[in-house]
Amino acid sequence: MLATVPAGVGSTATATGPILEMRSIDKRFPGVHALVGVSMDVLPGEVHALVGENGAGKSTLMKILAGVYAPDGGEIIYKGQPYTPRTPGAARDAGIVTIYQELNLVPELSVAENMYLGMELERGPFLDWQTMRRRARELLSTRLHLDVDPRTPVGRLGVGQQQMVEVAKALLHEADIIIMDEPTASLSLREIADLFTIVRELRGHGVSTIFISHHLDETFELSDRTTVLRDGQLVSTTPTADLTTASLIQLMVGRDLAEHDPKKPAEIGQEVLRVEGLTRHGVFEDVSFTARAGEVVGLAGLVGAGRTEVVRAIFGADPIDAGRVYIQGEEVSIKNPRGAIDHGIALLTEDRKSQGLVLLFDVRENITLAILDKLTGSQFTDRSREREIAAGFIDRLAIKAANQEQPAMNLSGGTQQKVVLSKWLAAEARVIIFDEPTRGIDVGAKAEIYEIMNELVAQGDTIIMVSSELPEILAMSDRVLVMQGGRIRGELSRAEATQERIMHLATASNGRPDEADLTEVPADD
Amino acid sequence: MTESVTAVGRSRSFARSVVSGAGPALVLIAMAAALWVMSPAFRSPTSLMLIGLEAAALGLVAAGQTFVILTGGIDLSVEAMVSFAGVIAAILIAGTNVSGGQIAGGFPSWVAIPIALALGALIGAGNGVLVTAFRMNPLIVTLGVRSILLGSALVLSRGSGIYIKKDDLLGLLTGRVDVLGVSVPIPLIVTLIIYVICWIVLKQTKFGRYTYAIGGNETAARLSGVRTNLNKTAIYAISGFLAALAGIMVMGRLESGAYQNGTNLTLMSVAAVVIGGTALTGGIGGIWGTLIGVFMIRLVDAGLVYMSFPSQAKEIMIGAIIVLAVLIDTVRRGQIPWLTLRLRGGDPGD
Repeated sequence: MLATVPAGVGSTATATGPILEMRSIDKRFPGVHALVGVSMDVLPGEVHALVGENGAGKSTLMKILAGVYAPDGGEIIYKGQPYTPRTPGAARDAGIVTIYQELNLVPELSVAENMYLGMELERGPFLDWQTMRRRARELLSTRLHLDVDPRTPVGRLGVGQQQMVEVAKALLHEADIIIMDEPTASLSLREIADLFTIVRELRGHGVSTIFISHHLDETFELSDRTTVLRDGQLVSTTPTADLTTASLIQLMVGRDLAEHDPKKPAEIGQEVLRVEGLTRHGVFEDVSFTARAGEVVGLAGLVGAGRTEVVRAIFGADPIDAGRVYIQGEEVSIKNPRGAIDHGIALLTEDRKSQGLVLLFDVRENITLAILDKLTGSQFTDRSREREIAAGFIDRLAIKAANQEQPAMNLSGGTQQKVVLSKWLAAEARVIIFDEPTRGIDVGAKAEIYEIMNELVAQGDTIIMVSSELPEILAMSDRVLVMQGGRIRGELSRAEATQERIMHLATASNGRPDEADLTEVPADD
Repeated sequence: MTESVTAVGRSRSFARSVVSGAGPALVLIAMAAALWVMSPAFRSPTSLMLIGLEAAALGLVAAGQTFVILTGGIDLSVEAMVSFAGVIAAILIAGTNVSGGQIAGGFPSWVAIPIALALGALIGAGNGVLVTAFRMNPLIVTLGVRSILLGSALVLSRGSGIYIKKDDLLGLLTGRVDVLGVSVPIPLIVTLIIYVICWIVLKQTKFGRYTYAIGGNETAARLSGVRTNLNKTAIYAISGFLAALAGIMVMGRLESGAYQNGTNLTLMSVAAVVIGGTALTGGIGGIWGTLIGVFMIRLVDAGLVYMSFPSQAKEIMIGAIIVLAVLIDTVRRGQIPWLTLRLRGGDPGD
């Protein structure tokens, strides 16, 4: 039973060599050589970034380390000993803890209960809650600067604080190596800044962090060394200071990605969508805006500002309490997604896997899901027309699938996004709402998604883009609406929009910008 | 990368088809062959006829159950519907005379049967509305409705069977016909026709596609404009309808509508569906697997009889089959890490 709070420097602080060495790791899945002789080492107390495009093998490598998969070849030396964890529990007991993007916490249980889950302290036959709570509180406040009551149910905490609880749990397990898989994906800028502070402090205590992120700026901000994987092979391990964004991207994709402005402005035409006074009490209030043909309207704001809720309401996925929606100047009543689709509105949800795709369906079935009713008048499906339509979109959007029968679950994030987009283009949507269009999508595929957005507005479609990535908002939007606290706090033209202005509006409280908040927002460029 | 990813898909679906498709069919054939060799009684035309009849009733119930489970739901009310529909039809046919065996001023079966079937569909749709519009758990809803239906059947029949005399239609429906010199029960033929229809519906119609889409990802289906509530309600209605049809078949064969008519059919139907390769989580599976499951269960059932297994112990067998079926399901989906059989090989995605 691990009862003590790990204090101060880890046991390996004296070692000068690597704490962990992975040598020539090989892993095959049926039909895929996922890892080809990959070697990587981790020094005590370093932040080691692991980057690569989707499918490069990052997660597989880390899952081997975490005891989820067994390698087919190679060896791992951890603290001078061969390391072959058979289960995730064994890896954790050895001091290698993984914090996944989808946090492994029980929302109904308290902070202390979650931290001690599976390693509860006992006094006699009973649980010693007093000690557990006291130690949880100490650990959270001294090591993580988090002042929460350990009796608070975890579900009431924000995502950022929940992640801190995961880190605390890792420290409780006396982790020497913490693997963070996309830790910032659902955090606000401020929570990201807090997380980075903690990771730096862990480094000071001799705890190593392996950090997987699609955000290269985070890699540069945080990591000491960077390992690049491509197609299951090691490309390089380099001190991060020796890299530039351009050189890192080149290492990742194996080619030069011309760094240019992805936006191709289109001719902006008539008003297509107008929203007036859209309200759902307690979620968003009095949201009004317009969007025109050929326009990309960016919807910026912090996580929890109500942007997703607003676009879902426009799409008819959630109800509204008040407000009007006009399409081409005519008021429409949209009660469900079917109604929105019939009015030419499409929504690409932020979470493709859980909301956008039927993962068990193949590419063709996903593409035609929204138009089966239109394809034939009868109750029967028309497979040959479906094939024709799917083939058209696979060609037009350069969907990287071996064939139409490939299940969606086997596709990369970027390809999945293209399949979802094809579904909406097949439905002849003219107002296309993208919610976090490039989340979890690698660099190369991102550029392709932007290019498709350019083509859409060029042919007169309207795009509404919700994004938490400021560079994306700035690069693609013709106009930026900034939401905070369920309200639109300001509108900026493409010329006016800057990171500072957007953050100023996004962090305003009660409509008034709060200077104190602003200063803590990290510049992420 | 693309080619290799497909290879995973292929090898996986190949492995899956071996386990969930050909595998059960081979087991079924092996079981039948073993019984054929070991038990002369099994070979008799009467015995085969009886297995066919029993398979027909279970098959109808299991066909509806397949639709429901494909959407990720479950219908525990089916056995009660079998009894209830039988009792309703019997009362309509036998009139108010519930104690004797005479038809006293009742309706002809061509009136009684459609009424019972319509009630089945309607009550099934009621299940669907509770599950969809009121977001209630299908397990509990259909368990509750099961009690209501069984209780109603018990009250309406005053605790004993309502005996009827078959008229021409009911006689035809529960009779037999010579196919190439072999006497085949008509209920079995009706069931096989229903299976062909189900197969066409699942594979060739929008409704079928939506059934799989709802089971695969209901949210994505709804956000793609699929009327998920309407489709699910229709599916529970189908389940109710087919269970009622099975109820008519059973009632006609026994010439009695009784609350015990459907006993054990719920668990058996779920077992047949799961043995047939349909995932309890929905989205994966098909109707022919269910038919194989139905015959397997009937063969086990018959086999136990011919092996002189005490009939009182039948419940044990049914319980064991359902537990085994669900175990097969979890193993097949690779949900048991130490028993994965290396079929899935893990997820190579990043």
